[in-house]
Amino acid sequence: MTEKQNDTTHFGYKTVAADEKAGLVANVFHSVAAKYDIMNDMMSMGIHRLWKRQTIASSGVRAGHSVLDLAGGTGDLTAKFSELVGENGKVVLGDINDSMLKVGREKLRNRGLVSNIEYIQMNAEALPFPDNTFDVITIAFGLRNVTDKDKALRSMFRVLKPGGRLLVLEFSKPEHEALSKAYDFYSFNILPTMGQLIANDAESYRYLAESIRMHPDQDTLKGMMLEAGFEQVTYQNMTGGIVALHRGFKY
Amino acid sequence: MLPTFLGALVEQALNQIVCLSPKLRHALAPLKLKTLVIHIRDWQQQIGLVYSGKHFHLFLNYQEKGDCWVSADFNTLTSLQDPSRLTQLIRQNKLDLEGDIHLAQGFSNAFSELEIDWAEHISTYLGDAPAQQLIDSLNATSIRAKHHAQTLSAMASQLCQDELRITIHPLELSQFTAHTRELTHRVNSLEQRINALLNIKE
Ligand SMILES: C[S@@+](CC[C@H](N)C(=O)[O-])C[C@H]1O[C@@H](n2cnc3c(N)ncnc32)[C@H](O)[C@@H]1O
Repeated sequence: MTEKQNDTTHFGYKTVAADEKAGLVANVFHSVAAKYDIMNDMMSMGIHRLWKRQTIASSGVRAGHSVLDLAGGTGDLTAKFSELVGENGKVVLGDINDSMLKVGREKLRNRGLVSNIEYIQMNAEALPFPDNTFDVITIAFGLRNVTDKDKALRSMFRVLKPGGRLLVLEFSKPEHEALSKAYDFYSFNILPTMGQLIANDAESYRYLAESIRMHPDQDTLKGMMLEAGFEQVTYQNMTGGIVALHRGFKY
Repeated sequence: MLPTFLGALVEQALNQIVCLSPKLRHALAPLKLKTLVIHIRDWQQQIGLVYSGKHFHLFLNYQEKGDCWVSADFNTLTSLQDPSRLTQLIRQNKLDLEGDIHLAQGFSNAFSELEIDWAEHISTYLGDAPAQQLIDSLNATSIRAKHHAQTLSAMASQLCQDELRITIHPLELSQFTAHTRELTHRVNSLEQRINALLNIKE
């Protein structure tokens, strides 16, 4: 299952013209940017920190590495990577949305993290880097928002150094029926309400819930990564498969 | 997820300790950005530990071998207190080492020299009398820490006699693990005491 059909694509459950989607997604994150971090903690009850922690652990990042935190938003992963690569390494926080980048930049500056971080606005589908640039690329809760996922994966493959690895952290398909039901109730009822209360924006959070359901499940995404050229692709379910961490290598 | 969560807790405790001890920061400086990996065989768990110059990062389910890799059963790791068994353990395949053993030694030494001015930190919150009470109870720890340091040097000489080519040892890693555990424990009970004292004050 690939989600692109000719020139329409999904925006949540709505089907929209492909070139409209990027703009619609941008709107969602513009309206969410300022409250993004608080919402993240509220929505996932803080568990997103553990998912991200496991992503860093699986990245094998070392001092001196070049890292791309793609769709990096407010820079949670970037902050950790910046410390771990040290002054001889480099982290690029890349996002399509400059509101998110601004929030991220401000947050990281306030924490005294600057020297080895670059903030670049970019579209995951056409990464503005030469071939073989990065040791590690992460895309956390970002791939489901990308219009042409296959194109984005190929682009990531291209800019990854041989020996480098890609980590995709994304909502996925819960392993058990009961969990799946509870999770549905949570995301379609509780989540938009919380979005309304905290960020005064139920619609954006309804989109988030819907986009999660439209995202390819574990094995489909694994297949897409293989298709894009990645090798040794594996995934690890977290929190019962609500989230999955996919990892692939370029050789 | 649970191990990841526990890892985050231990990491937080370690970072609290780092905050409180300038001496520890100093001792850790040369180990900056080097990864120590401890493979606990019977837990099927591998732990990565990095000091970034500011914070500790502790990772569970760590899959790389880092700059120094030590592998053994949990009991073996903790029983490493007895240095005479070490050569034997390696020969019996109960213990594996790879990479820069100085790294394990470095971490271990850094923690064995740990001195935190608890009285100062705590009196800010509690006033002098309760602080003193806490310090008294903590003195026991520092005596124990000194004892550890002595055992450590005894082990070192023992090791050389054991004709091991490597100068430094996972003995110290076990020391380090033990210290960390003890410190975590101490910090936790300290926190409980502080909470209790705060309740009394209110
Ligand atoms: C849910 S946020 C994730 C932020 C961060 N990685 C995290 O885990 O907290 C998704 C991000 O993806 C970005 N994004 C959406 N489409 C993108 C694209 N085509 N290229 C790059 N970034 C994109 C959005 O602007 C948003 O900041």
